[in-house]
Amino acid sequence: MMTVKNLRKSFGEGSTRIEVLKGITLDVVKGETLALVGKSGSGKSTLLSLLAGLDRSDHGDIVVGEKNITGLSEKELTHFRAQEMGIVFQQFHLVSTLTALENVLLPLSILKRENAREKAEALLESVGLSHRAHHLPSELSGGESQRVAIARALSTSPSVLFADEPSGNLDEETGTKVMDLLFEMVKKTGTTMILVTHDPDLARRCSRTVHLEHGSLT
Amino acid sequence: MIQKFFFTREFRRYPFFFLLLGSTLLLGTLGLVSISIVAGQVKTQLENNAHNLLTSDFVVSARRELFPEEQAKVSAILKDKNTYQVTDLYSMVSHPVKNQTRLVELRGVEGAYPFYGDITLQTGKFSTDKFYVSRDLSELWNIQIGDILQVGEIQLPVQGIVINDTSVGLRGFSLAPRAYIPLIKLTEAGLMKRGVTGGFARHFRLPGLSTEDLKKIKTEIYEEINDSAVRVSLPEDSSEQTGRVIHMISNFMALAALIGLVLSLVGIFYLYQSHLQARLKDLCLMNLFGLTKTTITSFILAQYTLIFFIVMILDLLIVIPGYKIFAPMISQSIGLDLGPSLDLMPVFSNLPFLFGLSLSILVPLLAGLLRTPMGMQLKSAKISLGRFRFYDFIPFLLLLWAFSWHLADSMKVGSLFFASLILVFVLSTIVVRGLQILLRKTTAHRGLLLPDLPTGLALKSLARSGHRLTLSFLSIALGATLISLILQLDRMIQNEFVWDKNKPGLFIFDIQEEQIDSFKAFALEKKAPLDAITPMIRARLIKVNDEKFEKKKSSYSMRSKEDDDDERVRNNGLNLTYRSYLTAAEKIVEGEPFPKEPRITDGPVYVSIEKRWSERSGIVIGDKVLFDIQGVELEGVVRNIREVKWTSFYPNFFVTLEPGMIEGAPKTYLAVLPTGTREGKLSFQREAAEKFPNISFIDVEELVSKISVLFDKSRKAIEIISYLSLLVGFVILYGLSHDQVYRRYYDIALMKSLGIPAMDLRRNLLIEFGSLFFVAMSMGLGLGWLIAQVLGREIFKLGLTIDWMRMFVPGVFLLTLCTLTILVSSWRIVEAKPRELLSQG
Ligand SMILES: Nc1ncnc2c1ncn2[C@@H]1O[C@H](COP(=O)(O)OP(=O)(O)O)[C@@H](O)[C@H]1O
Ligand SMILES: [Mg+2]
Repeated sequence: MMTVKNLRKSFGEGSTRIEVLKGITLDVVKGETLALVGKSGSGKSTLLSLLAGLDRSDHGDIVVGEKNITGLSEKELTHFRAQEMGIVFQQFHLVSTLTALENVLLPLSILKRENAREKAEALLESVGLSHRAHHLPSELSGGESQRVAIARALSTSPSVLFADEPSGNLDEETGTKVMDLLFEMVKKTGTTMILVTHDPDLARRCSRTVHLEHGSLT
Repeated sequence: MIQKFFFTREFRRYPFFFLLLGSTLLLGTLGLVSISIVAGQVKTQLENNAHNLLTSDFVVSARRELFPEEQAKVSAILKDKNTYQVTDLYSMVSHPVKNQTRLVELRGVEGAYPFYGDITLQTGKFSTDKFYVSRDLSELWNIQIGDILQVGEIQLPVQGIVINDTSVGLRGFSLAPRAYIPLIKLTEAGLMKRGVTGGFARHFRLPGLSTEDLKKIKTEIYEEINDSAVRVSLPEDSSEQTGRVIHMISNFMALAALIGLVLSLVGIFYLYQSHLQARLKDLCLMNLFGLTKTTITSFILAQYTLIFFIVMILDLLIVIPGYKIFAPMISQSIGLDLGPSLDLMPVFSNLPFLFGLSLSILVPLLAGLLRTPMGMQLKSAKISLGRFRFYDFIPFLLLLWAFSWHLADSMKVGSLFFASLILVFVLSTIVVRGLQILLRKTTAHRGLLLPDLPTGLALKSLARSGHRLTLSFLSIALGATLISLILQLDRMIQNEFVWDKNKPGLFIFDIQEEQIDSFKAFALEKKAPLDAITPMIRARLIKVNDEKFEKKKSSYSMRSKEDDDDERVRNNGLNLTYRSYLTAAEKIVEGEPFPKEPRITDGPVYVSIEKRWSERSGIVIGDKVLFDIQGVELEGVVRNIREVKWTSFYPNFFVTLEPGMIEGAPKTYLAVLPTGTREGKLSFQREAAEKFPNISFIDVEELVSKISVLFDKSRKAIEIISYLSLLVGFVILYGLSHDQVYRRYYDIALMKSLGIPAMDLRRNLLIEFGSLFFVAMSMGLGLGWLIAQVLGREIFKLGLTIDWMRMFVPGVFLLTLCTLTILVSSWRIVEAKPRELLSQG
């Protein structure tokens, strides 16, 4: 369902120029969970941002379903992202002025989906946060925030979920709980997931693992 | 290492912040520094002028000759060393050859007159034993040196023509042209008869005594001579009208400059808050490595002090050469020679205030920093500055109050200004909090499409932004208030000094009743359009509310110039006129106007009195007054109180009566000839003087034109200062808008990553900030107008004015500016790739 061909990305210019991705080729099958592992600084987040359409590659193609997203305009890409992709960040990234419920509601409102509120409430319940629905992010703990972020990422039933070290900012116990929740939700909804992690245990829970090293996948 | 961190690294790492901080401070202080310098120079020169007007340091005078025992008391206190007598008498002087007669102010002088100032003759040097006439008189009668004039019982040859006399100044009308005559000649001319009234003054030169010493002596003399007819004057009492106007204008400019400073301090507070927040992580780390919070705070203070003094030096580097260039221009326009030597004292006397204010605005932030639990902060994801509390602002507020008082040179005006700022502060807080509560209530449990996503998000964000919103709202409202205040005050002053119709050139009076028709005909023939022909009736006020109108007993030490005028008013009776209409310079401030249709009544006539006269005499609306009009008693009742712009130089009266009641009383007429060519006016005057020898003229053209030029130029000066403050305001608002967007950086990127199109994000920002700006600015502009009205009343005695253009135009302009800033500042963020979110924030 997602085909990546010869993807290249570099930063900086002249002597400070570094090639982070040196031609990535990858196929993601519908429904699979893919672990992307590699050392810190190896370019995992960079690759993820390209796949999720948060940044543009220097070269190469990313085809999701029938669409080559490298050729989309900014506007089309934004719309496509809202429809087809969900993202969970390491730093949670909740909109600070919206409550937990509203954060989950946001992607649904962007797409003007029907019964948005009911869906959002159900999702929040399924991540166990009904009682926190009307709290602002500043009133939530890290684990709670990340659970809200997971509910938000899944709210539009995206075809791919991207998660960049979702437990990286959490303590071990909370992290484990959050990851359990993530895997459970992904399984329940049958969502394709690309998970960035450097934790071998987490990678093992995915259906497949790819290694990023020196700018290439092994 | 630490010094290096605070003094070089920081500057190099955040050049933009320090540049912005420095220039905000520079812009804010520049106005005040320049005003301090100019106002200081003006003050010195006004003091010199005041000496020149009085001609000495100390004067004891009366409208009669001092009695020998009074003279003895004065001599005992002052030891007659450096002294002379000046006697001013009004007397008819005639030109026997030309067969013309007119009233002349004869100034009898002796000895070393004048101690201060110059009397410049056409040729030769002034001497107190010769007879001179002023240029006015010489031009009127075409007098040559050597012409013989009849003064009282003697004939005197004119020995010189006075072309410039610093003891006359811009004082306003003196009733008649002046002539200088040796004191003994006044006696020889038989003019010093017993009981003659005039000005009898003994002048003293008391070098080395301070104003305080002189005031003490003044009090001593008042205690010794217990007669209200005797008056002591010091140079400061002789400040002329233009002097007061210059003083008033320089106070206004100081306030305008203070507004600039306050604006820049608001900006500095805002900038510094952002900066501290951004630097907090590093500061927490420093704390972790062992630097105490107090040390960190003192380094920040030291850093700021360094910037302050660099800015002050820059100020002086701009202002001093600027003064050298502009001083001649300013001197010319205000008619005062400011002199090339520059006195920096006023700047240094304001410096502690400037420094204190600039520093104290940081107190809340630094107090917040001291309250931040630094070590613990490093563990949490988000590091935030400790809350500042209301009382942290108290040092700043107290200093601001003191400084406004000091600058306005009046506790009332300074406190009013200060209270206005507090009002804006309190009202803004109430309004923004109220609106937030309202928004929170109405949007809390509703979805995000209110009615569409951009609006919904904007409303939610406004409802939940708390302190940050209050602060921005306050800054914007304050900025808008101050901008509006300046524009409105400037407008009011312009209104005040604009002549409604024509500027008067020649003031004509003593036209007799039987002459008025032929005089009008004569004027018509000379194509001289007479203006404001006004009857004038001499009267005495004898009773108020059936009680004899008595002199008020005033304690001598408390005596003021007003009291003296007051007593003159009460002693000498007053001049009245009757008219149903108001002149362009008049306005009723209390009570009813006279009826439009003439009344037929046996009851008391309606009386209108001037406001300040009412305050001095204690007469108010509804009081019954009894006039003696040349032997006939007339009863009146006060119907209204008028304000008069005396600067119009048109005939105006303290007391006017309704028409239809006293037309029969004996009267004379006043009239005004508007400005024209000097030659035309002179020939008119000469011919009129021949045909109507009893009619008197006062040439006010020069006075009026000097004053109007002064006002025009002062207005320019006010505008320059105002623009400087406005510029500060715009810079602040720009910085603020920019900062607002920057604080939303992550939220914007996040919403974009969630799929909100750029267009919607932009709309969201525009709605959010647009409505914030709109409410804050409308409130600010409205409050600014209100405050301007109150201050205008207090400082300038101005009436209510509404200039919608001055509210609307800056409103639209500011709104556009801020909104554009939002658009421009957010452009990059909205267009940027949201991938930054993935990097370790
Ligand atoms: N915006 C950028 N500009 C310059 N270099 C960047 C930028 N983003 C990432 N890099 C560099 O690309 C490399 C890979 O970064 P990243 O994808 O964040 O690694 P990972 O997520 O695997 O730790 C790093 O060396 C990083 O310094
Ligand atoms: Mg990463």
